Amino acid sequence: MKKQLNLNVNGQDYEVEVEANRLLLQVLRDTLDLTGTKEGCSIGVCGACSVILDGRLVSSCLTLAAGCEGKKIETIEGLAKDGKLHPLQQAFIEYGGFQCGICTPGQIMAAKSLLDENPKPSEEEVKEWMSGNLCRCTGYYKILESVMAVVDGKTDPNYAFRKRETTAKIQSLDVYKSVAKTSSD
Amino acid sequence: MSEELTVIGKPVTRVDAYEKVTGQIVYGYDLTLPNMLYGKALFSPKAHAKIKKIDISKAKALPGVVAVVTGADAPWTHGEAVKDKPFLAHGKVRYIGEPVAAVAAEDEDTAQAAVKLIEVEYEDLPVYIDPEEACKPGCVEIHEDYDGYRKAPFMVRGAAPNINEHFKLRTGDVAKGFAESDLILDEKYYVPIIQHAAMEPHSAHAQWDKESGRLTIWVANDAPFRALHEISEALAMDKEKIRFINPAQGGGFGSKGGLKCEPIAVALAFQTGGRPVRVKFNREETFISTLTRHAATVYCKSGVKKDGTLVAREMTIYWDAGAYAEKSPTVCIRGSLPAPGPYRIPHVKVDGYAVYTNKPVAGSYRGYGIPQGAWAGEQQMDELAIKLGMDPIDIRMKNIFVEGDMSYWGEQLHAVGLKETLIKATEAIEYGKKSPINKPGLKIGKGFACIQKPTRSPTTSNAGVTVNAQGEVTVFAGTVEIGQGCNTILSQVAAEELKVPMDKVIMHQLDTDVIPYDASTTSSRSTYHMGNAVRSASIHAREQIMEAAAPMLEVGVQELALGDGKVFAKDQPQQSLPIGEVVKRKLGINGVVRGEASYTYEIGKDLDLETGHSDHASAFYMYATQAAEVSVDEESGRVRVLRMSAAHDVGKAINPLNCEAQIEGGVVMGIGSAIHEELIIDATGKVRNPSFLDYHLVTSLDCPQLIPIIVECHEPEGPYGAKGLGEPGLAPTPAAIGNAVADAIGIRIYDLPLKPENVFWALQKNKKSAA
Repeated sequence: MKKQLNLNVNGQDYEVEVEANRLLLQVLRDTLDLTGTKEGCSIGVCGACSVILDGRLVSSCLTLAAGCEGKKIETIEGLAKDGKLHPLQQAFIEYGGFQCGICTPGQIMAAKSLLDENPKPSEEEVKEWMSGNLCRCTGYYKILESVMAVVDGKTDPNYAFRKRETTAKIQSLDVYKSVAKTSSD
Repeated sequence: MSEELTVIGKPVTRVDAYEKVTGQIVYGYDLTLPNMLYGKALFSPKAHAKIKKIDISKAKALPGVVAVVTGADAPWTHGEAVKDKPFLAHGKVRYIGEPVAAVAAEDEDTAQAAVKLIEVEYEDLPVYIDPEEACKPGCVEIHEDYDGYRKAPFMVRGAAPNINEHFKLRTGDVAKGFAESDLILDEKYYVPIIQHAAMEPHSAHAQWDKESGRLTIWVANDAPFRALHEISEALAMDKEKIRFINPAQGGGFGSKGGLKCEPIAVALAFQTGGRPVRVKFNREETFISTLTRHAATVYCKSGVKKDGTLVAREMTIYWDAGAYAEKSPTVCIRGSLPAPGPYRIPHVKVDGYAVYTNKPVAGSYRGYGIPQGAWAGEQQMDELAIKLGMDPIDIRMKNIFVEGDMSYWGEQLHAVGLKETLIKATEAIEYGKKSPINKPGLKIGKGFACIQKPTRSPTTSNAGVTVNAQGEVTVFAGTVEIGQGCNTILSQVAAEELKVPMDKVIMHQLDTDVIPYDASTTSSRSTYHMGNAVRSASIHAREQIMEAAAPMLEVGVQELALGDGKVFAKDQPQQSLPIGEVVKRKLGINGVVRGEASYTYEIGKDLDLETGHSDHASAFYMYATQAAEVSVDEESGRVRVLRMSAAHDVGKAINPLNCEAQIEGGVVMGIGSAIHEELIIDATGKVRNPSFLDYHLVTSLDCPQLIPIIVECHEPEGPYGAKGLGEPGLAPTPAAIGNAVADAIGIRIYDLPLKPENVFWALQKNKKSAA
């Protein structure tokens, strides 16, 4: 059964006619050609399909498109405004927060939803929040550094070579802290 | 080099950054072609069975279905070393997940519905899950026609059933060596099947144009030229008729090298009247029907003198190949050869067997057989040291390869940075210093492991470099950007040699119609081989520009130099011309100067099939030591990695930021394989955990403090002294963690992964035997 939907994506209104069982991910990618949102696991585990729905981070592979009418949908395509990158995008470039790049849109959207709500999270909070977005390439260090660079206001839109501070931020965590807290978890 | 390097050795930003952080870049499965059809495959539910009958009539009758194909429509086989794999099953199936038939339809839902209408009748055959069982006398051959298959010349068939490769290494006399030893250890180690789990699932598009006879395949494949060759051989079609175009690739780690979705897409494309077909696997299909890493059973026996001198090492390794040979023969060879470890050992015997089983196909995986050997060999080094009352560092220092050593496979080694990696990695985690944590029920331990890794040799890389009248440089290189950063590294090389800013360099998209041949993006070979080719091609272009500029600037070629995108006279730098201007004056506004080069590393003598000896087995060797500090919860058996150091000899870090990134990614992938990753396959051959819910990848919460350390032991043949780095990142990781766990709890665990229940039962067993 086809259904008519009015969707607002990145501030733009779209009228689409899709099967009633279509997921938001499918409509974004296949109907609207917004392929920046990726599919990794199709079961809401990997975070590659992360988008922001009315200010909340959701897995678009688990979200029915029909339920998104009247809501604001934000995807990676809407992040850069007037040719100017979002600070998170800038930081991911500067700090090398990606490799193959397929999880990157999801990582950036997840980080955005965190910073929208809490612009000054701690490293622990960032690490925990970002644990819903899998990455097979980076080992996460440079992703977390990129997010922390925005938190600490350390991005430089004019920079050419990154200053060599070897994973300084994440290194500062006390290795024994987590095990010292509790012996069994 | 007398000139100062301008961009080599600098932590330059990646050239693919902008398109990746904006989501603009197009990956394989993002691609929609005009008039495209959607392909879906039917996968075998049986691990080993004859196909009695296939009925496709109902599927064909479904509205919206354009083509249904089975093995009868695709009577071709392919394979890298052994041509054993049908495009779609021929007469029998050999694993659960093998493509049996496929449908192309107007949309994906219709294709999926049609697949369900295909009826197949099977007749069961014996199922072999354990490679050691599968090669016992009397077993049914999974490939009854094995001897009739076309094979690579280096293949040695085992005497027993189901062995597709038997690698032998023979040095000295191990019996004599063990007789001379003061201490002998003999243990069995096990490494389970794991999967690459690249975040982008596999997909391929194919289109067949009957008029021109051309077959075009769009696929994120690590080795498009090899894939093209395989398709051409299988179809007996001229190579010129086949074209591979690479969209962006969302990771690979070895899984996207051979043919996976491609044969299904090609089989369908011949039946769609010229319409292109996309075959896209979902995550479950990627788990069961693409590729896995070999499970390995490793028997390792070592003999040492009282002072720690290694005398003999004997290893027998069973590599679980799964249902088709894929890259098993070469994983068996290149994984078994250095398995005894980076040590001087006078008496060595290795037998590696790649054995067919009725499981998903195993093939190349980052590390290419090194992690499995190291898991055994490096843990045994620690056990030897402990039994001799020695420090694990000292026993390695006594035996470790150093510059000029003769290896046990008959090659004299050079550029050996291993000792430095050992010292730096162990220092970085304060190895030998006790942890300040003292909590009942919690044990802390430290450990480390060393590895040496060869690269695939001999191989060739070709490159072209053009400079246009606008001074822009385009690099034509067949290395695939799989996330490792090759486009940045190769741009740096061209920018360095032509002295232009990085933003003037463009990497041409990979298209086999345009790009010259490259062997593959595998084996950490690209920086070295393609780096050399791009460097020489850039120099070739530079020489043409200099020659053209000499008369324009009225000085001799020898007096000219390049800098900041300009050609200038050395003694009168103000007398200069932008390089684009030189091209324009020489060739006109649309003129292009083209530099070309080819680089091949020639091996010496071929591998001797009886002894495994070669005087040049690899273009270069990568060395690494990683050290780990772990905690073990005695109540739950949970292992946590607290910190790790990873020291890698890269020859020369062309981009230190990128080297760091490769090390970080490798170590974390290695941690996954050490403490929880395991593809669980039951006795019927069914994968029980084909999803990210049940197959756990490492998350940001599992990452320890990590200290990446770059060691630069100059490789004279490499570009600027560089070797490679991609693969070794995870090779010593499980062994280092295994040694740390043994240090923490005083019990050696021989089977991976070190998941809570394995550690828990090892602790319980120990308690019982103590009581």
